[in-house]
Formats: sequence, C-alpha cells, structure tokens
Amino acid sequence: MSSKGKSGKTGLIFFPAFDWAISPTHPEREERLLYTRDQIFEEGLMDLPQIDEYKPRLAEMLDIARVHFCVPDVESQITEAHLIAAGSTLTLADALESGEIRNGFALVRPPGHHSMRVVHGNRGFCNINNMAILVEYMRSKYGHKRIAVIDTDVHHGDGTQEIFWHDPDVLCISFHQDGHTLYPGTGFVNEIGGPQALARTLNIPLPPGTTDEGIHYVLDRLILPVLEEFKPDLVLNSAGQDNHYTDPLANMRFSANGYARLNEKLAPDICVLEGGYAVETALPYVNTGIIQAMAGLDYSHLKEPDFVPGRFVQSEQMRREIEATVAQVQKLWDDRDELVKDALQGLGDFYRRKKRIFYDTDMINESQEETVRLCPKCSGYMTISSQAQRGYGILNSAFCVSIPRKACSSCREDAKEEYEEHIDDRRFGYVCMQDKDRDAFKFHNNMTHTQMSY
Amino acid sequence: MLVGIDVGGTTTDAVLVEGKGVVKTAYVPTDHDNLLKCLLGALDELVKGVDTRKIERVVLSTTLITNMIAEGKTDPVALVLIPGPGTNPRDYNLGEACILDGAIDYRGREIDRLKESQIKEAASKISAQGLVRVAVVGKFSQRNHAHEQKVGEIMRAALPGAKIELGHKVSGHLNFPRRAATTLLTVATKDKYKEFAQAVADALRQRKISAPVYILKADGGTLPLDSSVQMPVETIFSGPAASIMGVLALTPAGQTSVIVDIGGTTTDLALILSGKPLLSSKGAKVESLLTHVRAFAVKSVAIGGDSAVDVSGERMTVGPHRRGPAICMGGPCATPTDAMRVLGLTSVGDAGKAEKAMQEVANKLNCSPKEAAQKIVDAVVDKIVAEVGEMFRAWEQEPAYRIWEIMKKERLEAQNVVGVGGGAPPLVPLVASRLGASAIVPDFARVANAIGAAVARPTITLNLHIDTERGEYIVAEDGLTGKVGDRKMTPEQAEKLARKLLDERAARLGIGEYSGEAEVTYSEVFNMIRGWSTVGRLLDIRMEIPAGLLASWRGC
Repeated sequence: MSSKGKSGKTGLIFFPAFDWAISPTHPEREERLLYTRDQIFEEGLMDLPQIDEYKPRLAEMLDIARVHFCVPDVESQITEAHLIAAGSTLTLADALESGEIRNGFALVRPPGHHSMRVVHGNRGFCNINNMAILVEYMRSKYGHKRIAVIDTDVHHGDGTQEIFWHDPDVLCISFHQDGHTLYPGTGFVNEIGGPQALARTLNIPLPPGTTDEGIHYVLDRLILPVLEEFKPDLVLNSAGQDNHYTDPLANMRFSANGYARLNEKLAPDICVLEGGYAVETALPYVNTGIIQAMAGLDYSHLKEPDFVPGRFVQSEQMRREIEATVAQVQKLWDDRDELVKDALQGLGDFYRRKKRIFYDTDMINESQEETVRLCPKCSGYMTISSQAQRGYGILNSAFCVSIPRKACSSCREDAKEEYEEHIDDRRFGYVCMQDKDRDAFKFHNNMTHTQMSY
Repeated sequence: MLVGIDVGGTTTDAVLVEGKGVVKTAYVPTDHDNLLKCLLGALDELVKGVDTRKIERVVLSTTLITNMIAEGKTDPVALVLIPGPGTNPRDYNLGEACILDGAIDYRGREIDRLKESQIKEAASKISAQGLVRVAVVGKFSQRNHAHEQKVGEIMRAALPGAKIELGHKVSGHLNFPRRAATTLLTVATKDKYKEFAQAVADALRQRKISAPVYILKADGGTLPLDSSVQMPVETIFSGPAASIMGVLALTPAGQTSVIVDIGGTTTDLALILSGKPLLSSKGAKVESLLTHVRAFAVKSVAIGGDSAVDVSGERMTVGPHRRGPAICMGGPCATPTDAMRVLGLTSVGDAGKAEKAMQEVANKLNCSPKEAAQKIVDAVVDKIVAEVGEMFRAWEQEPAYRIWEIMKKERLEAQNVVGVGGGAPPLVPLVASRLGASAIVPDFARVANAIGAAVARPTITLNLHIDTERGEYIVAEDGLTGKVGDRKMTPEQAEKLARKLLDERAARLGIGEYSGEAEVTYSEVFNMIRGWSTVGRLLDIRMEIPAGLLASWRGC
C-alpha cells in the first residue's frame, strides 16, 4: 500500500549523468540537472534527518530483458548511463522493501517512459523504460501483485502504457497535454488497454494551458478515488516535470508548488524522474518541491522567482473541458468489468493487433503484429513479430515470445513451440523468449545461429 | 629541527624531528583548564638542552576549539539568514535566527531584493538582546555575496563595534545550512581563539623561539598561527588529524591502512587509502551541527579496554558503557583489559584480580576463565573488524554523479592495520589477521600524533566558479570577483587562473613557499545551451594542496 502513515526516511538517488548527452545541444544533455544539483545541494536536503542519499547501482541485463525485447540485443540499445538510471530505481526498491526507507525518489537521467516492449532504438529521448523495469523487478523479486503507475509527465507515457497494455494488475494512469498538440500524439481517452485489461489503462488528455487547479481536479476527483478502489500494493510516479509553465517543449501552466502538492497527496512509494527541460526556471524548484513533499517537509517557502499565487487562472471553458474528460474516464473505470466481459465474448482464442511505432530520435519505423492468447486458465502468452525499417532498408526483424507469470502448462508449451518454430526462420533476424514465470530470457540469432540466455 | 606538540585527552606530547628521524620526545599530563600551560610545559621539557635557534618550525595541535564547543563556552551569536525560496529555515537545526527577505539564485542572480528597513529592524532586535557578534549567511552567497555585504554594512553601522562574519568568506561550497553553522561557530570562537593565539605567540617570543608557528587543522594541514585566527573552527578535531598524519609519516608510502586507536571507552578508526587519508565526504559534524569544515573521516566505535562486560543468560555483551577501570586496575567490573591480562596479551594491572574477574564471567558462561577471556577478546575484535568493513563499504557507497565515477568500481582492501594509542598493541595483530593485513605498531606509536603535527605540510583549497555568460568569476572565500571576457573559456585556461589565484592566496596566508605543491582536484565544465546554441560556459575548478608530509620528511 502507499506510504501514507508509514514512518521512516525518504531515499534519494541523484544521478545527473553529468557526462552523458544524446547530442551536445539536445534537451537531454549534460547540463539538464546542473542547476537542480546546485539548488538541492545548497538547500542541504541530503543532510536533513528525513532524507537518506543512496548511490545507484547498475541494472543487470536480466532486469532489462524482463521487460524489453531489445533488438539486436540489450547491449547495443543501452549505454552505461541507462544501466545506472534503471539501476537507481532498483536500489530504491530494495531499500523500500527492507524497510530502510518509507519512500524514494530516483532523480536520474536518462528518462524512460516512451520506451516500449520491443526496442529498436531511441524514441522520445528514451531507450529503456526505467519505470517498467522497476515494476517488473518489484513483482518478480518481491512478489507484488497490483501496482499503479501514475505518469505525471506532460507527454503521454506511451511506452509504459504499451508494456502493460494487456496486464490487469498494473494500473497505468497518465495525464498529459492533449495528443493533438504534443508528442507523442497519443493518450486519448479511448486508449484503455487490451481486452483482458480494459480500463486498467486510463488516459486523461488535458488542454494546453492547464493550471494547478485543473491538474489537482484530475487528481482529487479521478486519480485518488480510482487508486482507493484499485488498492495497489505500490503507487509509482513517473515524475516528469514538463507540465511546468516554463517548459520549452510543452504548453502547460503547472507550478513547483502544484508538483509538490501533487506528490504529497499521491504519496507515491517511488518517484522516477522522466522529462522536464526548463533546466533553470523549473527543474531546480520542482525537484526541490517533490523531495520536500515526499520527505514530509514544509514546501510553503518554495516558489519560482517569477511566480505569484493567482498568476494563472483557469478559464471557465477549460474547467468544463477538464470536467467532461474526467467524467468520461470515470465512466470507463466504473464499467471496467463489464467492458472486459463484453470484449472477451466477442473474441476467439486469440486477440491480434497490428501497430506502427515511430522512433523520432533515431528515425526508425517499426511495424508489429501482436498476438495474445485469451486463455481461460492464465493471462495467456504473447507473441510479437516486429520489423524495423530505417529509410528504405530493413533495419532488423525479430520474433518475440512472452510467457506470463503463473502461465498454465498449455500456454507454456505453446509459447515454447512458437519460439522453437521461429529458430532459423529466415523472415526474422532474431528470436527471443521472455519467461516471466521463471525469470529467464532466451535469445537466438538466426543469422549467426548462436544462442544466449540470461 | 621541527617541533610537533599535540594536546591529547590525557597527555600533551611533544617531539623534536630532524630530517627523517625523531630526536627527542617529551610529555606532560594535560590540564584541560589550561591548555597553554600544557603546551608550554611540553615544549619546555622538549627543548631542555636544545639550541632553540635551530628550530625551523613549530606545529601545535590543540583541543581548544573542540573543548570550547563541547563545554558550551563559546560566545553568543546572532544568526541572520537570507534563505530565499526553498527549505523552511526552521527545518535546519540552527536554533534561533533572524530571517531576512532577499534572494540570490544558483547562477548568482538577484531574484528578490533586500529590504533595508527590515535589516535595520533586525539590527535593533540584536542590539536589544545585547548581542555583539553576528553571523550573516545567504543562500547562494558563494555565487554572489552582494546581499551579505550589504546586510553586513547596515549591521556594522547600526551595531558599532560588533563582530560581523559573512558566510561566503567562511565557505565557498554548496550547502547553505552547513555554511550557516560554520559561520556561526567561527564568530562564536574567534575572540577566544585570538587570545589563545596571542598568548602562544608571546610565550614563544619569551623563549626566544623565532621559528614560524603553525596550527594543525582537521584536514591534517598546517596553517600559520596568525592566519588561523580567521578560521578558528578549522582547528577542531586536530587530535585525530595529528594521529592520522603521524601514521602516514610512520608507514610505507602509497599503501592502504586502517588506523586503530583503542582507548578506554572508544576505539577510533580512520583510513588511509592508497597513501591518502580519507576525508569525510562533506564536512565535520561538530556536536549537533553539520559544518563545512574539511576533516578526516574518523569513526568512533563504542568499545575499548574499559568497556563493561555483562552476561545475561547465555548472552555476553561488551560495552558500550564504561563503569570504571578494569578490575585488574582496581575497577568495579570485568573488562577487555582483564581478559587480555589473563590471555597474556598485556602486562598491565594485577594478574590475580584479572583472573578473578574472568572466573566470575566464566561461571556465568559455564566455561573456563581462559575461554571466557578469549570470548571477550573475540567480541572486541569482531566489533572492530565489522566496523572497519562498514567504513570501507560506506566509502564505496559514497554517491557519485558521473558515469565514470560509478564505473571505476574501485575496491580497496586494507594492507596494514596500524595501531596507535595505548590500548592498540595487544589487539592490532588480532584485527590485522582477521582482515588479512599486516599488523604495524610503529616505533614512536605513542607519540605518533606529535610526529604527525611536526611533519604535516600546509593544506589549502581554492574554489573558483566561472560563469562566462555572466562574464564573471568568483572565489567566494576571498570575497573576490573578476571579469571573464571569453565566453568559450577552456578548463585549461580556468585552471591557469585558479593557479594564479591560489598562489596569491597562499602568499597572503604566509605559505607561499608550498603553493607549487597544489594540484587540481576537481574540474567541471558545462556548456550552457539556450535554444540550440551555446551561450556560455560554467566552470568549477578546485585546486588544493591536500594533506601530506613535508618534503624534508618524505626525503626529497
């Protein structure tokens, strides 16, 4: 359950990756957390008795393979910075589970929430999904069943959504600036998850210019009551900071105080930094606010230099728009069991969907066909055939098989058969199998005929 | 010849060093109420029959500031804070403070103005409280000290004769509450320290010792006595610093050693990693205050020769309390010293009494007195070994903010366990064998502290911050700012500037002859990108002479 009422310290990992950038002038560059460092160090936050600073560790290959099918392999999709950022969340997870801390904040880069299950390259500044890696680690190592991920970044958390699309035990809620007006162009109300997990994905698109008032309305009227009903073992916050009124890549009007208050109410067990690119005007203040709120410190003295209360007022029209969206999402949530029942009735033994994924950073186009067995005995195995193109040439292709936790014997057998069948299948460069039940990963290169496993 | 004097808890030790050799040692009991008398007593004892004209340098390590703070004998100070936005200053453990409006940001830009009337009001409140010492500390004052200066000026005018200390002069490091605490302690100890320094200088003059006099700092460095009056707090914890420098001087260069100082109630542990004494990662904790004072990482473990041994049921515990000396020394309860006496590890005290003490413990534990003694010694060694492991682990787990720092994954193991202090010799070989290291109890281990003081070189740290977009550089502690014309200043150019500024500072402090030993210990450069172009650079250079030994002792 979330940390409300628990005593103990707030664990903090600050890993600004001062020696890592996507490119020298990219928003995701060395300088991004520099002023945040100055602010939180000058505040002396790490010295306060409420806070304990931890050193990050490196995530292991299996931690990543538990979530992602990296093509051609994990090593070629990541750098050391990615392993440290992902590993930071795991260090905090262990500290949380051992009772050393009551909650934790991984103030790390690079971010992850645009990375999907199959990874051919970088999209939306992300290669691997730190949050999803944390979720799967918490489940496989500590046996947590129900986890809620609240994505408070201004961009739709499309990667996290895609990874848990079919999973009724992971509730993914994302509020963000409307996809009509911002990358990645998704996250509409009607995106609610796979047939077995309908309304366990909830999206709340918000109009550009949404203020503290609007976001707190969504939190108070929708997110907190939904969490109350879902009763997760853990609440995790994908804590992007680009809803801030000075962010150069988005158009919202959220304040540092608004962020602090959000984290106080949400009381997440672990926060993981995602985006946020107003490196001077927002990040030092927003990060300070989040740390204060998580540690139960007074954040009333925190404000941006140019902020005055009442600076941003929500228009009547915006209020109506947000209320209507919240009502729509609320109805989907209320009807969730009906929706699943209806959907499954209309489907056979398998559910299939095709999708196209664009990697904006690396200019890759991927096409996928995803198949999930709608198994009455377990959550069903999944296969994905994936082909990535860059320009006019094929970049890579892979056939991926995923065996779920508590898989029934027939799903396990069928999944293994699918994997075997695609070995040396010339349509695919690689065949991969993720076995979440046994926490193992197998990988076959069809060109070199070599196999490896984690 | 070099003179080193260390005022310790029980004795004040002095040594005379010539070249690489210890010529003479002397000691007198320490009288905590008259440190000057102890210093001079030990000195007089030491220089009896010595030609004082041949003394080239005198270094003192005193507990003056440590005691003054521990005994609450510091002067009262009014704390004035300019905290700006962020943490509620009441969340810092700084006691009562006047809070002023006004704010500077991380780049050194003014983001909120001072209110003159409010400052004057604060001054009259301070005056009404009868306070004559004021510490003025602003957040980010190390990036721009205009506010601190202005407040200082107004206070000075409103409080004639008051002693006013500004935070930026005390520390240029990030961490506002630590800067506030350090400034507070500086003002609170400065006057009394000044008196002491004056008395020392006078006494040496009377003895016709004209050699320069230095004081040992918590970071193992020496500083001329007259310069040290500006930064009295830096002299806290100079006792452990002296021991560590002594071990550095008495063990092979470049090795990794654990220093074990076993006393009656506590055991102090410190590390020398590949020849470099480990500094605590932030700054020293002085009583309840976290400061910016650079100090060696010393871990005090509540176990020692006089720790009380208790048995309840089948469980035996050693420490953490002391009820008095060992039974073999006429004390009230069984202790590790009694156990060591029975095992023949030490020859202090009465053997018969020790035997009786162990017999009593043995009866409760259902074993022989020798077995009981062995269990007690094992428990002490276990505890020390565990704490040493914990110290190495804590060092490995110190946060790092760059990939390369995390990837280098350095792991060090102790090569030596070095014993200093009275209780160490019998236990050091046992601890060493458990750690797979060599045991060293150096010659002169008893006066390692005084030797450390005698042969420690000066230390100095210069923090240079450059913001080329704002066209400025700043050295906070010197209250120094200057213009930078080149927006694309390189780290090499910045290091050159740092070298020049360090030479100037060293000359001002009277240690100019050592400035050639300074090295760049930290250098970072960030391009500032706005839009898609580079508008400037932020450079931070730290140049320092780290703790080390005099060239004459190193043999070069």
